[in-house]
Amino acid sequence: MMEATRAIEMQGIVKRFPLVIANNAVDFSADRGSIHALVGENGAGKTTLMSILYGLYQPDAGHMQVFGRPAHFTSPRQAIKAGIGMVSQHFRLVPSFTVAENIILGQEPGRRGVIDMGRAEREVREIGRRFALPVEPRDLVLNLPVGLQQRVEILKALYRQARVLILDEPTAVLTPQETRELFRTLRQLAEQGTTVVLVTHKLNEVMEVSDRVSVMRGGQMVETMRTADTSPARIAEKMVGRPVLFRVNKDPAVPGAPLLEVHDLRANSSRGIAAVRGVSFTMRQGEIVGIAGVQGNGQSELVEVLVGLRPATGGEIRLHGKVITNMSTAARRRNGLAYIPEDRGLVGLSMDATLSENLLMGQQRHGPYRQGGRLRLRAIRRRAWQLIGNFDVRGAVPMASARSLSGGNQQKIVLARELSSGPSLIIADQPSRGVDIGAIEFVHQTLVRMRNQGCGVLLISADLQEIFALSDRIIVFYHGAVNGDLPASEATVETVGYLMAGVDQVSAPGAREGA
Amino acid sequence: MISESEGGIDTPRTVAAPQATTDRAAWALRAAIQGLGRPALAILIAGLVGGLIILLLGNNPLIAYGILWSGAFGNRISVYSTLQFTTPLIFTGLAVAFSFRAGIWNIGVEGQMLFGAFFAAEAGYLLRLPAIIHVPVAFLCGIAGAVLWALIPGLLRALLGINELVVNLMLNPTALLITSYLSGYPFKAPGPTNKTYDIQPTAQLPQLTTSSQLNVGIFIALALALVIFAFQMFTAEGYELKMIGLNPIFARYGGLNVTRSLILVMVISGAIAGMAGVEEALGVDHAYYDGFSPGYGNQGIAIAMLAKNNPIGVVFAALLLGALNSGGQQLQLQTNITRDFVNLLQAVIIFFLAAEFAVGWYRYQRQAKGVPRAAVAAEEGT
Amino acid sequence: MNQIFDLELARAVIRISVPLIFAGLGGLLSFNAGVLNIAMDGFMLVAAFAAIWMANLTGNLILGILAAMVAGVALATLFGYFNLRFKANIFIAGIAINLLASALTALLLVGIYNQQGSFVPENIPTIPTISLPIIGGIPGIGAIVDGHDPLTYLAYLAVPITAFILFRTRWGLHVRAAGENAEAAEVVGVNVFWIRMQTIWLSGAFCGIAGAYLSLVYVGSFSRDMTADRGLIALAAIFFARGKPYVMLIVAVLFGASQALAIRLQLQDQLPSQLLQVIPYAITILALIVVGIRAKYFHTTVRGITFGS
Repeated sequence: MMEATRAIEMQGIVKRFPLVIANNAVDFSADRGSIHALVGENGAGKTTLMSILYGLYQPDAGHMQVFGRPAHFTSPRQAIKAGIGMVSQHFRLVPSFTVAENIILGQEPGRRGVIDMGRAEREVREIGRRFALPVEPRDLVLNLPVGLQQRVEILKALYRQARVLILDEPTAVLTPQETRELFRTLRQLAEQGTTVVLVTHKLNEVMEVSDRVSVMRGGQMVETMRTADTSPARIAEKMVGRPVLFRVNKDPAVPGAPLLEVHDLRANSSRGIAAVRGVSFTMRQGEIVGIAGVQGNGQSELVEVLVGLRPATGGEIRLHGKVITNMSTAARRRNGLAYIPEDRGLVGLSMDATLSENLLMGQQRHGPYRQGGRLRLRAIRRRAWQLIGNFDVRGAVPMASARSLSGGNQQKIVLARELSSGPSLIIADQPSRGVDIGAIEFVHQTLVRMRNQGCGVLLISADLQEIFALSDRIIVFYHGAVNGDLPASEATVETVGYLMAGVDQVSAPGAREGA
Repeated sequence: MISESEGGIDTPRTVAAPQATTDRAAWALRAAIQGLGRPALAILIAGLVGGLIILLLGNNPLIAYGILWSGAFGNRISVYSTLQFTTPLIFTGLAVAFSFRAGIWNIGVEGQMLFGAFFAAEAGYLLRLPAIIHVPVAFLCGIAGAVLWALIPGLLRALLGINELVVNLMLNPTALLITSYLSGYPFKAPGPTNKTYDIQPTAQLPQLTTSSQLNVGIFIALALALVIFAFQMFTAEGYELKMIGLNPIFARYGGLNVTRSLILVMVISGAIAGMAGVEEALGVDHAYYDGFSPGYGNQGIAIAMLAKNNPIGVVFAALLLGALNSGGQQLQLQTNITRDFVNLLQAVIIFFLAAEFAVGWYRYQRQAKGVPRAAVAAEEGT
Repeated sequence: MNQIFDLELARAVIRISVPLIFAGLGGLLSFNAGVLNIAMDGFMLVAAFAAIWMANLTGNLILGILAAMVAGVALATLFGYFNLRFKANIFIAGIAINLLASALTALLLVGIYNQQGSFVPENIPTIPTISLPIIGGIPGIGAIVDGHDPLTYLAYLAVPITAFILFRTRWGLHVRAAGENAEAAEVVGVNVFWIRMQTIWLSGAFCGIAGAYLSLVYVGSFSRDMTADRGLIALAAIFFARGKPYVMLIVAVLFGASQALAIRLQLQDQLPSQLLQVIPYAITILALIVVGIRAKYFHTTVRGITFGS
């Protein structure tokens, strides 16, 4: 029988969800032993497509073949049996289990229901050796660093004889150096015949490691090309559907007086470990400062301390010269702080409350909306309509629940509420996450406009493109401290990448002489 | 797309509002009917299951329900009895509903009520004051006792984040044991029953009738329901508590002191629960009787669920359960069906209401064609 | 005072702990799977009733125990479905189950036997006792441990068996995975719903034995609400032990000891029993406080107990 060269073949895949068509007649195929990148914006449907391949969803229409044989998976178990393995963004590991226990879970060696732990550990060690991904089987996963945890996830798939490995945004939590490790591993696996599907929206990685790239947009497969034949700009163009400017059109910044001063700020993570270790920087009115860094280096904790959701263990924060280090969130907001949170659903909005109620938060005790102990319901509703209009939240009514809106519209409601109080400092944390491209433009333009009006914008984003597009100045975070503070005009992706990995500013390649 | 709205914040765009009154009225009516649907269905199903049990016990369900009805509304005495039962239930229902709405699961209402009753009874007995002062003072003493007890789960939740459900679960039997001990040993009045000394006449809540123990407590309860309704609908504080209940993290970020509010809610909820006990001690029993409560506190949970935490709904749901209690008494006298029947109906109602998103969930399932929960969680923005 | 701590008390402690241990084991399995079983009182109550009913009907103890287990599993099915399938809040579902069990058994008590308080069956054979061959001869311990009924020994033996199943078998691994990270378990093919359902069923079965023991062996009759919050106390033991079987055993026996002591002291009229009966609840709350303090100030992660906001 002729060996199929195509490892995966998907034709005409359709998948509908209640509010959206995630996959609209998508064709996708990957050759055996290749590294195939699947790119698209958030919401383009790439994760859905791979979830179908992995048996998490069933398609409404279409066919699949795996290694030449027709495939219809109703559960991951079946997909695994056919040789498909997936490593998802959020690791599916049991923290209190050992490495071995995590790897064998669901496929434990043993007899009559009793686990043969000795054999399990041997097998895990062996697999680690075979694929050059060594691990210690008895280590507890909760003690492992993120890179090693990911390795365990990969080994999980390999232990189940995966011949197709799907990696969903694997580098989101890795440093550039760990990313290069990963790519080396992937190339090795590909040489050994494993087919790798890399789901990502990071175009530089696509160029670096993949053989072919398939671009999805709005639930459809736009094009598949050989990586060697294309470029990031062209890929981005296909992702977005029109030429993308990598920098938002903005006038140069005219920074004014110091707005936010952070001196030697310290804070602990939820686990009690030091997460912010002596951070110092200054921000002025009228500038956008982007904080770049691999997730998990303390940016989240920094933001929480700045906003007042986490106590500082040392150091000082000044807003407009006033010390706010120990002020409550409410007080900080009264002093001009606004916050676009990373977790919209949890911090930014109350999903089951109405838009009126969401928009009211923070204003409920203020003049126009409350008189003599009573809420002025009509005024509140009128304001809601106004804000909905100003921020172009299409089709929304004040009585609708926040949950009923799309991601982009939800973000607009958050913006509407936060910006309508006339803030001077806006902290925007991953503002484009889960937001469609049109809304992203709106958000970016709004932030730039606020900056032009004299606000200071602190932008935290895992998306380097966004950082570069918006920032006047870039601060790089590494290991809980500032590891680089440079004007955007002088920063390159490479420099920033090294800074993100901990190399200090002076010796980072690409840094200007004497900078 | 966005290119049109160059203005954004600066140039407001007007969007058409709905045809004000008629649209909103129709929408409100539809919402009300939809809102009543599930509770009504729950009661219906409970009635059916109850009927089955009645058959099982060798009775005719129609006759049994007839007795239930007449015991609740058959004559003047029955109606008084129903209202008498309803009074503490309004309090406990309000107590539970108030806390549920704010996101606190105060299922310790039973225990708080017991302490409310005990403290009120002791204040009613030990103090010698003119009636116009004695009643309020005893009232407040009862509330204080209940509040102190309610502070335990409240503080533990607010300061240490401990799940108040578990704490309350443990505290309810504890409260029963402690009050049982107090009324059985140190504060026991002479005689065969475990009860405290009778309260002074000046501490009694005025009776409304001669043929029952119905007292002014019911007016207090109704007034309280209205006050809470107004509070929740029209005040900023009511709005804040609602937001805390829906999403405490959002509320905290919005500047609300969630910790302080949680404690406050627990205190208020406990106070209301205490009022149930006070009413029983000062208005019905005129003393503290060990075991006086047929589970008023727990019935409050079913009431709050039926009423969907709406104070006006609580009054009606309390009336329903009050009627069941009263009718159940008759049922026990005339048949071999004991008052536990009321608890049975309650259990079915709670089951049905607790599972209420079952229907919506299945509909979603059919649309999404068997999406496993784990996968749904993973999908970000599909 | 030394008349209190004697042989009889020790033997009483062993026996009084039996329902706690059985219920605790069942509840422990579901706890490890991520299900907080508040409804064990309900399971035990219907089981106790079923045991008396069946044993009285047939004169056979084994059938009584089996009937009890069936009743326990039936109620467990109701509980499990409402919580897992219909997403009912577990505390509300538990309250409803307990209420249902209490009301149903009380109604049936009157309906079938025409008794409002308790029913003492006449058709029940005597409970067999076992003489342990070698251990019975050891001075001191021998007298305490020897001559109990089979169910008592079963309870204590079940602990190491449960521990083995939980920590050394595939199923046990799946259970613990389901409890700690359901997503991780789902993705490798563990059906978390079924695993949890199975632990709930087992909990029903264990409570079935516990209930049968309570009515058939320990008391010899059925009365209203006779479980007297034993399910809650067993849950307290599970909490305290953070789901570890051997620790749970020790705590259960300690709670049993406080119960036995309370009864003894009341009989001798020295202390009202209520204050001693408070012990399990008070200890649980103290344990929760300790855990809460540790989680907040020392940042240890805690599993199985949900903390607010």
